[in-house]
This record gives sequence, C-alpha cells and structure tokens, in this order.
Amino acid sequence: MSFLGYKRSDGSVGTRNYVLVIPQGIIAKSICDFVAGTRTIQTVDHGSGRTAGDRERIARVLIGLGRNPNVASVIVHAASPGVGYPELTAERLADEIAASGKRVEVIDPAKDGGVYETITRGMKLARMMVYEASKLRRVEAWDEHLCLGVKCGYSDTTSGIAGNPAVGYLFDKIVKAGGTAFFGETTEIIGAEHALAKRAATPDVAKAILDAVAHREALAKSTGLDIRTINPVPANIKGGISSLEEKSLGAIYKAGTAPIQGVLQYAERPKGKGLYFVDNWMGAFSIFAGYAAAGSNLVLFQLGGGGLTGRTLLEGAPSIVAPFLWCTANPKTYAMARDNIDFYSGTVIEGKEDPEQAGERLYRTVIDIASGTLSRSETLVYTDPVDLYLEEPRF
Amino acid sequence: MPAKRALIMHPKDNVATTVEEIQPGDPVEVSRGGEVRNLTAVEAIPFGFKIALEEIPQGATITKYGETIGKAGRSIARGALVHVHNLEGTRARGDLEGREKR
Repeated sequence: MSFLGYKRSDGSVGTRNYVLVIPQGIIAKSICDFVAGTRTIQTVDHGSGRTAGDRERIARVLIGLGRNPNVASVIVHAASPGVGYPELTAERLADEIAASGKRVEVIDPAKDGGVYETITRGMKLARMMVYEASKLRRVEAWDEHLCLGVKCGYSDTTSGIAGNPAVGYLFDKIVKAGGTAFFGETTEIIGAEHALAKRAATPDVAKAILDAVAHREALAKSTGLDIRTINPVPANIKGGISSLEEKSLGAIYKAGTAPIQGVLQYAERPKGKGLYFVDNWMGAFSIFAGYAAAGSNLVLFQLGGGGLTGRTLLEGAPSIVAPFLWCTANPKTYAMARDNIDFYSGTVIEGKEDPEQAGERLYRTVIDIASGTLSRSETLVYTDPVDLYLEEPRF
Repeated sequence: MPAKRALIMHPKDNVATTVEEIQPGDPVEVSRGGEVRNLTAVEAIPFGFKIALEEIPQGATITKYGETIGKAGRSIARGALVHVHNLEGTRARGDLEGREKR
C-alpha cells in the first residue's frame, strides 16, 4: 500500500513540507510567527550548564528535526545560549543537517548586524524557502517510508483491551511493509519486559531491553516509594488500572508482534527499518519531539482518558514537524473530546469490531493523514512547549 | 435482568475487565472468544475496572493478560472489585526496600 508524500534527496519521504527554524528562542519564534509554513521548537533546554552527554542529546534533537523527512529546508541561527559549546555550534548543526542534502541557511547576529537585522534576514530567507518548498508535489510512496512513533497516555483499561491492540495491528502492518515504528516509555514496560525480550531480534537486543528496565526499576526503588504513588498516575488508577505491571502489560500491545530490532536512546536515529524500543520517558511533551528527531513522519497518542473529567480540549501536539493523531478506545473520552479525536476504537469494547478490524481502519486513517489530510491537532495554532529528555545533573 | 458484560484477556486470568457499569447483585456474563462464564457481582464495579472470577486468597497471584499484575493484599471474594485497595503491585516497590543507605 502507499501514501502521497514529498520525496527528499536522501531517499526519505515526508508527510508534510515545512521550513524549520532552530534552535529555540526569540529569533526563531519571531521568524515563524511572521512566515507561514514554518516550524520551530519551543523549549527552555538550550544546553547552557549541561553536561556533554546532555548537550549531545540536545544536538541530536535539533539535527534530527532538521533531517526529518517532513522538513524541506532549515534556517539555523547562532544566538542560542548553548551555542558556544562544541556540540551546539550553528556550524555543526547546519553541517550535519545539510549532509542529508537539504538547503540550510545560517543567520548570525554577530555577522548580520544584530538581533533585529538577523530576524529580518531570517524572515526574508524563510519566505523564499517556503515558496520554493511549495513547488514540490506529493507523489505516491510505499508504506516502507512511514516512520511511526506511539505513546499511550491517560491510560485506562480500555487502552489495553482495544486502543493499544488497534495500534499494534497498525505497527505490524507498517513493519511488514518495510517501514519503521517506535515505542518506548521504559517505566511502563516494567512487569512486561520478559515478553518484549522474547521478541528481540538478537540476544544483545534482549539484554538491552532487560538492562534498560533494570536500570529504571533500580532508580524507582531508590526513591523509597511505592511506584504506585508516582506511576500509574492518578488518572490511570481512576481509570481502573491497579498496578504498574497491569499498565505495562496493556501498554505493550501497542507495539504489535514484530521482532524488536534494537533499543534506541532519546532522539537516536535507527540504523535500519523495523520495530524499535526507545529508552525514553513517558511525558508527552518529551517523547514526541524525540520520535520526530529520530525520523518519525507521523506520531500517535493512544488515549485512555477514563480518569479525565470535564476536559474537552486536549494539549497541543508537541511533535513539531510530525502530524500528531489522537486515538481513543474509551467511549466516554470520545464523547467528551470528539472534536479532538482522529480515531476511535471503542467499537471493540462495544462488540462491533475486533481489534484487527479497528486496526485496519486506523491504518486507513494514518494513510489519509500521511497523504495530507490534517489531523485534528493540526487545525490548532497552539502547540505545547517541549521538555527534552535530558538525563544528567545540571551545573 | 440482562447480564452485564466483562472481558477476559487470557484463559489463565482470574480477573475480567468490566465494559459496563455494574451494581451489587448484577449478573455478569464474562466472555472470551466464544467461551462464556456467568457470575454475580457482590459489589459495584465501575466501567473498565476488574471483577474477580474466583475467590483469590490473600497473597495469591492476580493474573490478567495471562501475566502477573500483582498479589492479593487481602482475600478477595468471587464477584468482587479488584483494584488498588486489595491488589498489591510487586514491581518497583521502593517502599518495601527502604531508602538507599547514605
């Protein structure tokens, strides 16, 4: 099967066609507020006072977003507080993005005559770059060019029964077609890691999965707390989930049944195609930016929502360049937030469909949105800021 | 009165997930594929929560998806609600380990 996408010079295929302006800050934001068709990242994590490891994580996010297939061309400005560190110089970011064959322009207050002048130059450049990008036409592309990322959130028991199995069907289908799919949330595979390790493509991958869980569980124990006071979160417990193990066992259904090819770090690009586990944190403001930086050209949030009350507007998609789909299997959530939901699989609970039939519908929804139909969250201007998954102390 | 519905995820499970609001005394029809079991709810069980399919003694394993989701913190009657009040998690229990020595 196929979708309609934008072919890039590195062989990847975009589902969107943006001009990206990075890093975060007033220069990038001002340009993006002024010029249609642009995207930037909003985060307070700029690298200053961070370790080399965390600075490299930030660089991975910025370079990865620039290389994302949904990006036509990139403007890098040289005025971020972190820019003096070798990992985060404008030149390094620009060079590594340009290696993918994309046009990259660097703007710099020190050379362009100051911040106002840099913003003005950036606006002029961005308008021309958006105009040039718009000349590209969508063409038919096979599903192997899809790279999906998923998180399940506000999970309740409908997630494990219906919502996640429908996503799992989608993942199996995309992986079978030669595509790529990411799942993660290490805390939320505690209690289910043995089942995932059995699916590892090699013994090394199995060990990496078990090691990631052992590390995270040891950290959890070092708090001296019952993990249930942290995760499952109150909305999960209110939605019927009774333990972390129960949450995890339901959560892994979203990964389908394909072999797991590797364990990736936050915002790390995979070496090949197939299904990957990402050793990341569940926060929606963190995880989706990481998936987009790793190359996702479409991401899904599988929502339970049984523990939510009276919330009809959901958060703005923090996936920056990747279209973001809201999916739910909970009839109450769907009734409460219908405007925001792209896909509903409560039909499984209602006995009207099996998870495979729901998954097939989800697949067709994904193909439509990959081909240009807007996801519900894309009809909003608002997006939430991003909380990068940095792991080391600050100094 | 028509039976209320609940779903079993795996043949080994000793709990099922309710897909309707259940009142005390309601008959409950528990299904997995073509197999159907009947029991009576002994208390209210909200949509999406778990009902015990058999008596579960204190300390016994509670199984869903064919896997361990915890242990019974106290003895649980057939047809009772299974949730955080009577199910103990077994993983990442820092409270049972005590704080790391400083």
